[in-house]
Amino acid sequence: MKVKKMKDKRPSTIIMHNVLIGVLAVIWLIPIVWLVCQSFSANPGINTSTFFPREWSLTSYIKLFHPDTVAQFPQWFLNTFIVACVNCVISTLFVLMVAYATSIMRFPMRKPLMNIAVILNLFPGMLSMIAVYFVLKTFSLTNSYAGLIMVYSASSGLGYLIAKGFFDTVPRALCEAARIDGCSEARIFLQMVIPMSRPIVVYTVISSFLAPWMDFVFAKMILNAGVSSKYTVAIGLYKMLDKSLINNYFTQFCAGGVLVSIPISILFMIMQKFYVEGITGGAVKG
Amino acid sequence: MADEKKSTAAEAVSGFFKAVGGFFSSFGTAVAKGDIFVKLSLLWWGAGYVRYKQYVKAIIMTALEAGVILFSVFFASQYVPKFGTLGTVKAEMIFNIDTMKNEFNDYDHSFMILLFSLFSFVVWFVAIVIWMKNMTNVYKLQLMEENGEHINTFKEDLKLYIGEKFHITLLTLPVLGVVVFTIIPILLLVFVAFTNYDQQHMPPSELFTWVGFSNFITLFGGGGLTATFGYSFVRVLGWTLVWAFFSTITTYIGGILLSLLLNSAKTRFPKFWRLMFVITIAVPQFVSLLLVRNFFADNGIVNTICNNIHLTGFLQDIGLVSTEHIPFLSAPGWAHVMIILINIWVGVPYQMLIATGVLMNIPEDQLESAKMDGAKPFQIFAKITMPYMLFITGPALVTDFVKNINNFNVIYLLTQDVYTTTNQALANSQAQEVDLLVTWLFRLTQDYYNYKMASVIGIVVFVICALFTLVAFNYMIGGDKEGTYQ
Amino acid sequence: MRKKLISMLLCATMVATMATGCGDSSGDDSKPSSGANSEANGGSDSSGGAGGGSSETVDLRLWGAEEDQDYLQQVVSNFEKAYPDQKFNIEIGVESELTAKDTVLTDIEAAADVYSYASDQLADLVRAGALAAIDDVGEVLTKAGKTLDDVKSANAPDSIEAATLDGKMYGFPTGGANTYFLYYDSSVISEEDAKTWDALLAAAAKAKKKVGMTLNSGWYNASFFYGAGFTTGLNEDGTTTMDWNGTSADGISGVDVVKSMLDITSNSAFIPIADDQISNTIASGDLCAVISGAWDSSNAEKVWGDGYAATKLPTYTLGGKQIQMAPAYGYKFEAVNAYSKNSGWAVLLAEFIANEESQKLHFDMKKQPPTNSNVLASDAIQTDKAIAAAVSQGDFGVIQSVGQKYWDTTKTFGEMVAKGKIKAKDDAAIQKALDNLVDGVTAPLS
Repeated sequence: MKVKKMKDKRPSTIIMHNVLIGVLAVIWLIPIVWLVCQSFSANPGINTSTFFPREWSLTSYIKLFHPDTVAQFPQWFLNTFIVACVNCVISTLFVLMVAYATSIMRFPMRKPLMNIAVILNLFPGMLSMIAVYFVLKTFSLTNSYAGLIMVYSASSGLGYLIAKGFFDTVPRALCEAARIDGCSEARIFLQMVIPMSRPIVVYTVISSFLAPWMDFVFAKMILNAGVSSKYTVAIGLYKMLDKSLINNYFTQFCAGGVLVSIPISILFMIMQKFYVEGITGGAVKG
Repeated sequence: MADEKKSTAAEAVSGFFKAVGGFFSSFGTAVAKGDIFVKLSLLWWGAGYVRYKQYVKAIIMTALEAGVILFSVFFASQYVPKFGTLGTVKAEMIFNIDTMKNEFNDYDHSFMILLFSLFSFVVWFVAIVIWMKNMTNVYKLQLMEENGEHINTFKEDLKLYIGEKFHITLLTLPVLGVVVFTIIPILLLVFVAFTNYDQQHMPPSELFTWVGFSNFITLFGGGGLTATFGYSFVRVLGWTLVWAFFSTITTYIGGILLSLLLNSAKTRFPKFWRLMFVITIAVPQFVSLLLVRNFFADNGIVNTICNNIHLTGFLQDIGLVSTEHIPFLSAPGWAHVMIILINIWVGVPYQMLIATGVLMNIPEDQLESAKMDGAKPFQIFAKITMPYMLFITGPALVTDFVKNINNFNVIYLLTQDVYTTTNQALANSQAQEVDLLVTWLFRLTQDYYNYKMASVIGIVVFVICALFTLVAFNYMIGGDKEGTYQ
Repeated sequence: MRKKLISMLLCATMVATMATGCGDSSGDDSKPSSGANSEANGGSDSSGGAGGGSSETVDLRLWGAEEDQDYLQQVVSNFEKAYPDQKFNIEIGVESELTAKDTVLTDIEAAADVYSYASDQLADLVRAGALAAIDDVGEVLTKAGKTLDDVKSANAPDSIEAATLDGKMYGFPTGGANTYFLYYDSSVISEEDAKTWDALLAAAAKAKKKVGMTLNSGWYNASFFYGAGFTTGLNEDGTTTMDWNGTSADGISGVDVVKSMLDITSNSAFIPIADDQISNTIASGDLCAVISGAWDSSNAEKVWGDGYAATKLPTYTLGGKQIQMAPAYGYKFEAVNAYSKNSGWAVLLAEFIANEESQKLHFDMKKQPPTNSNVLASDAIQTDKAIAAAVSQGDFGVIQSVGQKYWDTTKTFGEMVAKGKIKAKDDAAIQKALDNLVDGVTAPLS
């Protein structure tokens, strides 16, 4: 890491430097600390008079695991987990398949297809939400996890560019050699290229796994039966902030937020290295 | 691969048309020069394969043809003929006491007619492509037979799909997904922009129909029904662009600076600090943003604190605040700045991760020689680090800008139900000062069922994004970097 | 079957684009479906049979507010007990009557069979064809041993009238007195002070407390105008009428009403509260009086304890006279989806939720003000402070009938008043703002 070797090593500047980082980190963490504090508050509504709760308690967490008609957190967690896992498998497959086809293989319609993909990818899903809803309804897929998974994963192939950038760095000579040895493309794909591309596979897996935890717009639209036990974590928590509920559920919302963030943070920590390499794609190797 | 590096949008378009042209000419050749069985394949898709003993393929193609015909007769025929009017029969119902159910007449559902007609068009388009492709394939078989070449058995054909034609195996499902969940919805949106699909014309109880360009005229200030639509559109578009610009630039620069700061040799425990920043992005946005919204609410905790330390009083004295609280997210100006600041809070750690990855790879020799020449840290940053970053992440910058134009989450989660405009002209067309085009569109569909105007706005957003990307890509980078490392 | 056909064909053709095969696609084609809307009329082809104890399980979906879920569960189990011969599968979902219209209109066919809505949504829902007219299906009530006229006479006449549009009734009244009134802390404010804004604000200022009201909502701020004799109404095409920029039947000009409002908002003891923040603000303890509805009674009671009191809205001063604010006064109805596949049973369920027994249960469990005359007459209702205050406004409350365009524009107008964006001295600006308001509210629908 080249940037490190700056010459200035006087203790005073080092302290200043670290204090600056510390201050920034504190600013960044204040809302998160507030989130955690609120989740341990005994008063279920929003506490607007003091930063730290007047009374600490675990009730929000306990309530979260004792479902009532509004909050069914364990069920939501399970629902989201299932959707996330299936979405993760399909999306990852789609992304890798498209990336391999466009990066390693050469065929007549390759360029036009890639250009179309770039343009389609510009089109925000939000705009066509209603249309997507009616397409799903035609197939009787509204109000089902299958429909939700399809919305998350069906167009995931369009996000192939990062993975393609990575595959582009796979030495072409290796593939050629394998072909001459009589390997089929399928074997090159599965047994050579994928194992070489761990960072991008991990990156794709994480980002597609995370999508269902973050999205509430599509989930709210598709799971529209209003049945609480069918919600994903995102809609469930979002609904807790409803006008009529916020005073009794705000701290549970915070507790839910904390609980969702913990596994995601751990994922991030473990995968940070891959994540960075994945995002920056081939550039890192250059 | 140098030639590929210089591909531009224009070349891409011409390449596309060349490919299409080639497709048509080979179809023409096949029809003109094919033997009787090839010509028969125009009517019976499987004919050519029967002649050249590829029976399995013959069965598949015949079945496909039958499928298309049955589809057209039994399905498409119910909808496509009504495409011109989008239906004429309104729903009526009679309650039947014996079954305890409502009985409906055979009514038209405009949206279903539109959707299924569109669907039929897509199927027919695909069918025509298959039909033409089939002709060239059969003609190829004829040529092979004439030259005495080996004609593949079905097994050998199948094998091709994990070999030479592996891309077809790979791309089929992803393309299918994109067609159904992206292309059909986009086309649908385009069609709806030319109809009067709104609250007064909502299926299933009402019908809607074609109205030509009148929705576009309404949007671009041609009077129409809501006089302030054009005014609101300009305002919202303006803020959308300002927002996209500032949110992209601030998080980009912030991310680079933060990563330089963290990766400096002077930093103690860099991993620990990095984790502190990454935690903010690990909290899902709907949690962190809804939280921040309550944090900065008019009677929220921050306002309480500002009141206690008399900051609010001070701001009132200097005339920045006229209310009893600081309207962080509830007054124009304040809200605009706060939204961008909060976006920095969410966006910078993410950019920091990316920048860290890129900065690790700055060519060492350049930095070394710069330092030999006695360059100051700032000069190094301006002359080496930034240009390198821009070179690597330029395309990402463009994509980020486009993504920010459509950054629904940040704006919606921070302002929905909290912000109330005091501009009556905006309110009369259901817009707000802090709205992006997408959030305005979302409100129009969710609360006002104004699908026609939402579609028009959707098309405009798409055109803006597409134009911007094309221009930016042409200027910033000459094509993609594929092949550079091979 | 048609859906299957589509997906099979889609699959088959797309796959064939790539010239691979999955050739059995035509297998299902042999069963053509006719009629454009098999989905909607899918129910009708089931062959007759006696409605009463049919062996088929009846699937129904019921929507109610989040806070009513446990109550609805109980009602549903009572309903199932009332019809022991019939098997039901009743699913209860969450959708508040306040937002029912937004969700229902997005996709009527996907909405619940039975849902509740607030009376101001009636016109929009009817125009979208989302409500079954009870008169058309009323004969089914014989199964419950009633006639439609029985239902009508059992409830307060106003509530039935509010559920009726063009002579047809669109839902059963389940809750009344959906309105707002004044809660106050009687240890700070005397009963006499609570009668006028002037005395109220003076008393609050003395105690260094605040009086809160929501202004940025057309539901609340209209009370000033209705009190002065202004009106809103609904045309047949769904557009709204409004006369606030002129002079009312009582000879009061709209500009003067706004000036009176500005007098109140400029008082330092007054605090405007955003629509969804009322409960929060009550809980913060800074208020000594607030204008809100029955749903906040427990909040207010918790904060003010023995001092907790409720009464009708106060009067405000206009040109030396006292003018009684007239609140929007609404009802809650239990509606039947016009596109329900089991409309007969849906009507029976909706009626059951609206009957005397259920209304009594609803009041006991959730303090919901009833519409049923017998329940209204019961002692428990008469002694409840909040409900007494709400019901006392029935005489001058206004049943608000407005269209979609009303809400955002009046919200902005209220915000302008609350934030002091218009000044009491500037008559021209007030007039302009009122003109803009009326323009926006009365604009054509799309």
